[in-house]
Amino acid sequence: MTSLRATYDAGLHLLDRQIVDPDDAPVANVDDLELRERADGRLAVSALLTGPGALGPRTGGRLGSWMVAIWRRLRPDADPQPGRIEARLVTHTDSAVHVSARARDLRVDGFEQWARATVIDKIPGAGRAE
Amino acid sequence: MKRIFAVALGILTAIGGFVDIGDLVTNALVGSRFGMSLAWVVVVGVVGICVFSEMSGRVAAVSGRATFDLVRERLGPRVGLANLVASMGVTFLTFIAEIGGVALSLEIATSVNELLWVPVVAALLWIVLWRVRFAVLENVFGLLGLSLVVFAVALWQLSPDWGGLWQQVTSPSPPSGESWTQYSYYAVALFGAALTPYEVFFFSSGGVEERWTAKDVATMRLNVFLGFPLGGALSLTIAAVAAVVFLPAGVQVEALVQVALPVALALGKIGLVIALIGFFAATFGAACETGLSVGYSIAQFYGWRWGKFVPPRQAARFHLVVLLCTVLAVPVLLTTVDPIAVTEYSVVFSALALPLTYLPILVIANDPDYMGKRVNGRLANALGTVYLVVIVVASVAAIPLMILTKGGQ
Repeated sequence: MTSLRATYDAGLHLLDRQIVDPDDAPVANVDDLELRERADGRLAVSALLTGPGALGPRTGGRLGSWMVAIWRRLRPDADPQPGRIEARLVTHTDSAVHVSARARDLRVDGFEQWARATVIDKIPGAGRAE
Repeated sequence: MKRIFAVALGILTAIGGFVDIGDLVTNALVGSRFGMSLAWVVVVGVVGICVFSEMSGRVAAVSGRATFDLVRERLGPRVGLANLVASMGVTFLTFIAEIGGVALSLEIATSVNELLWVPVVAALLWIVLWRVRFAVLENVFGLLGLSLVVFAVALWQLSPDWGGLWQQVTSPSPPSGESWTQYSYYAVALFGAALTPYEVFFFSSGGVEERWTAKDVATMRLNVFLGFPLGGALSLTIAAVAAVVFLPAGVQVEALVQVALPVALALGKIGLVIALIGFFAATFGAACETGLSVGYSIAQFYGWRWGKFVPPRQAARFHLVVLLCTVLAVPVLLTTVDPIAVTEYSVVFSALALPLTYLPILVIANDPDYMGKRVNGRLANALGTVYLVVIVVASVAAIPLMILTKGGQ
């Protein structure tokens, strides 16, 4: 950001926005942000975090902890981490956050793949576009 | 020709959103009990849905974001989730009611019990949502739904006392034998039915799928300003024929078949057949809209890929939600719950979810970050703000009125 504004309100401009890939296909929402302290002491966004593992803590309360607990239980790995998209992949932001990698290469859609493999692909016509 | 079909989305939304099972029954019931004295609510409701649909359509066209995207962006995850649960609950209830409505229409036509039709209707509906192209959906149900114009023909054939009807319209107070609380309850119900949230979810999502751009705003406005008033006019004629036939006789409308009775009276069998086709199209169209809207809202809240324009396997979670809804609706209806009662409650509950849906639309429509030069003008803001106040009043009044009137009995 080379803007003259001293501050960038990431909460307003990034959080809860839709992430889209180069084909404008929705990837995920920005459920939380990973921040890193730079050498000059200012904060920079280092990654966009996605999925219930990131959204749960932001939702807060009992509901938030349930969200995380259910997500952890359903994940195959022992210590699951929220989906992570490197900040360097972000090309630009408007009403959405545009990233340069394709949805399938970002590996943040475990539930989508499960739903596809377990249910949708078994129904005739699943691969046919309009 | 292309322009004509472009307007079909508006007509489908209007027929399916404005004249669904809830409106068919609520309008006829209101007509039979209150005459035309609540007609003003329909007019107020039509203007309200026009204001907010235009706004959400414009936001969709300019920013490419559908309504539920914005709900979360502006309300945050916690309040956004509360809204998701509320509006999805209402939309799902409506979805159940619409399937029941289709089954009831088929029962009237075939004398086969509605409960036997429910699984058939649900299966057919799912195949349509899975397979049938969006364009076909909107054109077929939009055009078939127009057969509800038969109610206007029936009204004219009944040669009512026009002066008397007009007098009911211009005296907005309960007729003798009805209390103000009952009157207010049905005012809220009619208002809620006019502004049900799924209409903007469906309309804005449809716009995003059809890849509207700022150039399409004019067509979108034509859709809104033609479609919803048409739906409102149909609602009013349904209320009017009920007011003409049932009000003097002191009969209260309780079933779908009674809604069609005045048409049969005025136009005979052929009229009845046309009315039933209209019922079928309106309820089936609304079932498609509500089913998709449940999928749209949850997918947009979580940022999943959604929509009917991509192959189902690329929007697997979205299609899984739609499938689950359809499967869940069947056992609910098979408990022999009365679909009409489900609709009436869903309409009143929808009044509750309204402020949380329409506030973010109004905020975003004023945000140059999203809208550039296409932010709200003064008129849209003035109307939007006034309506937001009305919506909040209706939503606060909904539950107390429901309890006070025992659900309008």
